[in-house]
Amino acid sequence: MNGAQHILDAFHRHNISTVFGYPGGCIMPLYDALVDDVGVEHVLCRHEQGCALAADGYARASGKLGVCIATSGPGATNLITGVANAHRDSIPMLVITGQVPSGLIGTDAFQETDVLGMTLGIVKHSYLIDDANSLPTIMEEAIELAQSGRPGPVWIDIPKDLLLSEAADAPFPQPEARETASTDLTEALAMLRAARKPLLYTGGGISLAHAEDSFRAFAESSALPAVVTLKGIGNPGKHNPYNLGMLGMHGSRAANKAVDECDLLLVIGARLDDRATGKLDGFAPNARMIHIDADAAEINKLRGADLAIRGDLNEILKSLADALQAEPLAISDWQKQCRTWHTTGGFHAADNDDPMAPITGPAFIRQLSRIAPDDTVIACDVGQHQMWVAQHYEFDHPRHHLTSGGLGTMGFGLPAAIGAQFADRNSTVINVTGDGSFMMNAQELATIRRYNLPVKLIVMDNQCLGMVRQQQELFYNNRESQINLDDNPDFVAMARAFDIPALHIERTDQIRRGIETILAYNGPMLLHVAISREENVWPIVKPGASNTDMIDETARTAKASKEQVA
Amino acid sequence: MNPQSQPSTPSYTINCRMTHEAAALERLCQVVRIRGFRIATMAVETAGEHLDIALTLEGTRPIAMLQSQLEKLHTVAEVALAAGSVARSRSA
Ligand SMILES: Cc1ncc(C[n+]2csc(CCOP(=O)(O)OP(=O)(O)O)c2C)c(N)n1
Repeated sequence: MNGAQHILDAFHRHNISTVFGYPGGCIMPLYDALVDDVGVEHVLCRHEQGCALAADGYARASGKLGVCIATSGPGATNLITGVANAHRDSIPMLVITGQVPSGLIGTDAFQETDVLGMTLGIVKHSYLIDDANSLPTIMEEAIELAQSGRPGPVWIDIPKDLLLSEAADAPFPQPEARETASTDLTEALAMLRAARKPLLYTGGGISLAHAEDSFRAFAESSALPAVVTLKGIGNPGKHNPYNLGMLGMHGSRAANKAVDECDLLLVIGARLDDRATGKLDGFAPNARMIHIDADAAEINKLRGADLAIRGDLNEILKSLADALQAEPLAISDWQKQCRTWHTTGGFHAADNDDPMAPITGPAFIRQLSRIAPDDTVIACDVGQHQMWVAQHYEFDHPRHHLTSGGLGTMGFGLPAAIGAQFADRNSTVINVTGDGSFMMNAQELATIRRYNLPVKLIVMDNQCLGMVRQQQELFYNNRESQINLDDNPDFVAMARAFDIPALHIERTDQIRRGIETILAYNGPMLLHVAISREENVWPIVKPGASNTDMIDETARTAKASKEQVA
Repeated sequence: MNPQSQPSTPSYTINCRMTHEAAALERLCQVVRIRGFRIATMAVETAGEHLDIALTLEGTRPIAMLQSQLEKLHTVAEVALAAGSVARSRSA
């Protein structure tokens, strides 16, 4: 077998059946090998960024490894945003690029870039192959590495000549047993029992560890009030009465209040990201902290833990759940208090009673949440619409909410939805996007058409870069700068040009029918939703401020009336 | 941090053993830089498959944070903070 065939061989051995890629000069030997391959479906996206983000979405929705492939030079550089996106959200990904032939490396050859050097900061690990015989072993190692511990992208750069050279088979040793935790669950339980106001704080680590079920069992048996980060949405389940929803910059008052008041914070699979914690000095000021994570480097990184437990989340959660099932926590006053906060300070966007009224973001997302089937996957883009989804859509599973958390990559949603649809051809997948984000990877409409993917696209069009406009309004004295998009193309006509049917709505009474129509359609369809340019996401914490200093709509009204007086 | 109460930058000596691979040193230096430290001295020796690297670093962030990030690198086998290495370097 040559190097290219060894790559496919590794795919087969690891049941990798779907890969996303784009061909070109230095990766041609691999594309040649694909011609005769029957086990791997290669999805041709229309831009390498689309390939990387689709692989990311595939991995998020399926829990499996995402794979993307590109050629050297511009192929590799185009992948970078998507790989960085996976890196920041710890998504397991294998990236394979062709490189100029070994003898030409360092000669400024056509389509040569120093991929290894350029990507050091956005990979979990990377390899430049210098001997074809090492390729089989490195493929094994890379596939294992991308998915173990804290998952992440692993990049293999392969000179074209080595894709063509014959390489010997390698023995494939079983990966060593992973290190298990040195846990101190007895102390954790003692701290939980001693606390009067314990609070659960979880993030994306739950699904990264495939611990969704054990977490759900633990959340139920402990009946702990729970807040989630953007990536933890869905962890507690939509029917958990103590789920206070998202905390942080655009979190609910209830969630931020609970964090402010709690006396013990049980952090599981979360990094204490600044968007979630706000100013660290003011974060959970009265609380001791237990931090449970698979990644040792997260412990004590931003805030010292009173107790740190590192290890397999499934095991830890099961032990904790058993102990609390046997002897429940006595925290009924605190539970009651949190439920009251949830009633008064949770996200409860009202429907608009006036059928002729313009559509508002939160009301639209609420309706979508009610109408879409329970196992719908929502792939968001980045901006106000992303926050409305996080606030108002009720997710019952973390893998149903695909969002670019760490990097905040506009253009993520459409390719991620493509990846999610490949992960499960029968699921309902909806890309909720903004008019800015949609244009960042709109070329992937062609991919949807080519594979006839029934992805639904909802473009929430406020004719501007809404999230930036909002911050300019609130924090830059309303001096608008380069956010205007009122010359957007006609999105309905644009979709139709890709042979994707589309519908436009703008009034409250059109919401239900619009959503039902695209969901009922047997194929891809786009819903263009006109919303007001002036709408904001409430509440908001000013970047760098404490989460207790939340600003809400009254701030804007007060400011407007002051301006009128002036 | 208030420069008046912190007149000089702490300095640390770290010894690191890593696999001798294509981007080994770049990988190490990149993490040191992005995690907020400056390399004052660096000595590298090849030991078979490995590189032994001795670094003197300056920085105001907790050194344990850097140490755990370096340990996370797949090709890093060992990171040791030299005992008593916390010294004050020249005024910042
Ligand atoms: C690739 C990229 N470029 C720039 C930004 C900065 N940014 C964050 S939100 C946003 C506006 C998004 O506009 P749109 O997609 O229309 O969504 P809206 O906020 O209007 O809902 C911008 C420019 C980003 N996150 N990603």
